[in-house]
Amino acid sequence: MLAEIGYFALIFALGTAIYAIVASVYGEYRHRESLVLSGRNAALLNFVFVTIATLALQIALMTEQYQIKYVWSVTNPQMPEFFRFTSLWGSQAGSLLFWSFLMSLFSAGAIVLNWKSHRRLMPYAIAYMMAVLVFFIGISLVYENPFERWWVMPESAGGEVIAAVLAPAGATAPLASRLADSANGLNPLLRHFGMAIHPPMLYLGFVGFVIPFAFAMSALASGELSTNWIKASRRWALVAWLFLSLGLLLGGRWAYDVLGWGGYWGWDPVENAAFLPWLIGTAFLHSVMIQEKRGMLKVWNMFLIIGTFSAVIFGTFATRSGLVESVHSFARSEIGFPMFFFWFFVTIISVALILHRRGQGLLEDEHKFNNIFSREAMFVVNNMIFVALFIAVFWGSFGAPIISELVFDTNITLGADYFNTVTPPLFLIMYILMGVAPLSAWGITSLSRLGKAMVIPLGLTALTLVLFVIGGMGSPLVLLGYGIVILAGWVAIYETYRGVRARTRAHGENPLTALWKISLRNPRRYGGYMIHLGVTVIGIGVIGSTLFQLETQKSLAVGESIQIGGYEMVYDRFDGGQISQDERIMDIANVSVWRDGQQLATLRPRRDFFPGTEGMNTMTIAGAHSTVENDFYVLLVDWEELNQNRATFKIYINPLINLVWWGGLILILGTIIATLPKEIMNKETRRRLRQS
Amino acid sequence: MTDVAWQKTSTYKEKTKNGSRERWKFIIGGALLIAAIAYLIIAGTSSGARYFITVAEIVNNPEYVGETVRISGAVIGETIEYDTENLVIEFTIVNIPQEFENLAVALHEAVESPDAPRVKIRIENEVMPDLLQHEAQAILTGELGENGVFNATELLLKCPSRMEENGVPVEENPHGA
Repeated sequence: MLAEIGYFALIFALGTAIYAIVASVYGEYRHRESLVLSGRNAALLNFVFVTIATLALQIALMTEQYQIKYVWSVTNPQMPEFFRFTSLWGSQAGSLLFWSFLMSLFSAGAIVLNWKSHRRLMPYAIAYMMAVLVFFIGISLVYENPFERWWVMPESAGGEVIAAVLAPAGATAPLASRLADSANGLNPLLRHFGMAIHPPMLYLGFVGFVIPFAFAMSALASGELSTNWIKASRRWALVAWLFLSLGLLLGGRWAYDVLGWGGYWGWDPVENAAFLPWLIGTAFLHSVMIQEKRGMLKVWNMFLIIGTFSAVIFGTFATRSGLVESVHSFARSEIGFPMFFFWFFVTIISVALILHRRGQGLLEDEHKFNNIFSREAMFVVNNMIFVALFIAVFWGSFGAPIISELVFDTNITLGADYFNTVTPPLFLIMYILMGVAPLSAWGITSLSRLGKAMVIPLGLTALTLVLFVIGGMGSPLVLLGYGIVILAGWVAIYETYRGVRARTRAHGENPLTALWKISLRNPRRYGGYMIHLGVTVIGIGVIGSTLFQLETQKSLAVGESIQIGGYEMVYDRFDGGQISQDERIMDIANVSVWRDGQQLATLRPRRDFFPGTEGMNTMTIAGAHSTVENDFYVLLVDWEELNQNRATFKIYINPLINLVWWGGLILILGTIIATLPKEIMNKETRRRLRQS
Repeated sequence: MTDVAWQKTSTYKEKTKNGSRERWKFIIGGALLIAAIAYLIIAGTSSGARYFITVAEIVNNPEYVGETVRISGAVIGETIEYDTENLVIEFTIVNIPQEFENLAVALHEAVESPDAPRVKIRIENEVMPDLLQHEAQAILTGELGENGVFNATELLLKCPSRMEENGVPVEENPHGA
């Protein structure tokens, strides 16, 4: 029953989305208000139907309807409720439906929130959003249907078991108990809290960027090319960026906790596919400010948002279907070509619209660049760096392998070497810009004025570096790197301090109230500084944990110890064959970590075994002792099966690694501030104006 | 209306005042930046590029000895040896054909075929990965030594599920075999 409900809800969702496109575009074209309204309502109805379909699948997962193939392939009777819930996005068919659900949720949100304020943009924006939904729902219905069920064909037709949505002639449903016994269960690697919420975060980021894209294209289609589309979509872009950042951070944390190699980022193609929309989206968020403030870079911004949209579509498929490793697997994947044609079609229309409006002179810049140290010039360099990073990462993970295969018929891949050569200089330029650009002025800045503004942050940076040297850091190159990163942070702090000081002087408020007030008055500015500070903290952590990581390994008998980086670790005891609630079998080593004769922690690195799971069925879970200074990260590598008297450990000391997570937290907080509605402040201002 | 007129004159003034000199600064600065980025990517590509070849190719072409390459093959479970004292892993991989329909099936067939080319892998200072098991696909970066052993510095593993991409499970029939 649930399968039918879900399936037909999805068909209705497809119908309403198609109708919404036709009614909105035709209604707007003919100036028929009732038709435009009808299109809007259809788009809202689409949300209702997609929600019903998603709920149907979710309920099927929770109530163990193993006759549905998707439920059968991602859950089994032993799984705890929480992971039953999250297996909605545990595999491709479900996650595509979930993607459509989030997309329709965001579309409905954009329609409800922006309908009144941006009425002229809405019809075409709805058409674009619904077009994306038509494509994704279509993929769900035609290629990746999550509502397919198992059927046993009659003996006369071969007696085979097949998957189909509606019962084939003469087929009978297989026995429920048999199905439950053979059900697969979620890949053990994914049974981690970070992994459970990491995909939804990424998806929220992905679909979030479709909204600004829809508004931008709507501005082009309707010819309403003022900064209205930016105002309408600015917050959506920030929300998207927030979730994308959160998704990337959680993914890194998951890798660090679960994958057991002591790192958090490996330049893996799938990671890169999620990083690409972030890079180009960041360029867009900066660049769009120039258009708002100075009316410049209008064509460029359009291309950036198309690039973001393309990266989102690419990322969605790349992270799920593994179709990116080679042209062959792309061609083999059923959804590869539909995806390519959809992307190509949307991009062609969008580029044609840009050229059309440009030809009409509607995209001309209102100002010229007149100073190389002006803020807009720095923003352009910022854009070039982010786009360069985008190109470098894309080329390294997808471009080079695909071109070599297509053109030279050889197979060339670029490993971590490539990324470690190409990206650090670009990231350093990014940090330099973060240190300089916030101090330069719009329009014209003289070099001496810029220099004067930098004296204090530079002084603070020099002071910090002196502390680093006293702390024992000798390498001039590393100090230079740290200096560049830290300057960006001091500039952010100093600029915020100046805002607070001006406010405390003018209004006699205490600094905290002043900070709150200026953040409310200019959330993007002060939220932005906080994000810069977060990125600085992440940078310090990345440099520390990459350049100064220590590692060692040793086989120890119970009572023996190993020393590394000032720590001593003693192997105390082995707890073999512990069975957990979800029926995994855990072999746990108990170790204690000591420093200067004091016990700091007892850790339990372990190996989990998942009986009855096909393929990958063991998982090495590290034990870690975290301080500001570093992480003591230990893996249980092996042990003697018989008496477990001896076990082998691998230990990493990861300096400053926690700054990566804390910096991430600061970045997220800053983004939340930047997204804060200005309305709170405006209300107060309006009241004061009325009084005077 | 007045606003627009004012803006136009100001743009005009900007252009005439310091137009061409600043413009050249931008063009030269931009060109330098693009050249530097292009250089970075090209240099990175030439130093980071690894030929991705098959086991058959590396075994049959002596010119690959001592070259850093990437190879991929199917792991034979019973050959896996792990020296836990020194963290040295050794195992043998078998050639997988370049074209195949289903990775899991290709891996299974490779391991089962007795005459497919194979090479011994040695990797040092590595924790035994959970995924290193029979019929896993191993992707290795490293070089073939004179002794015919491939010394790997990087190891990636994949264990495809036996479920076909779409349709019926290949080996696990839900109805019970």
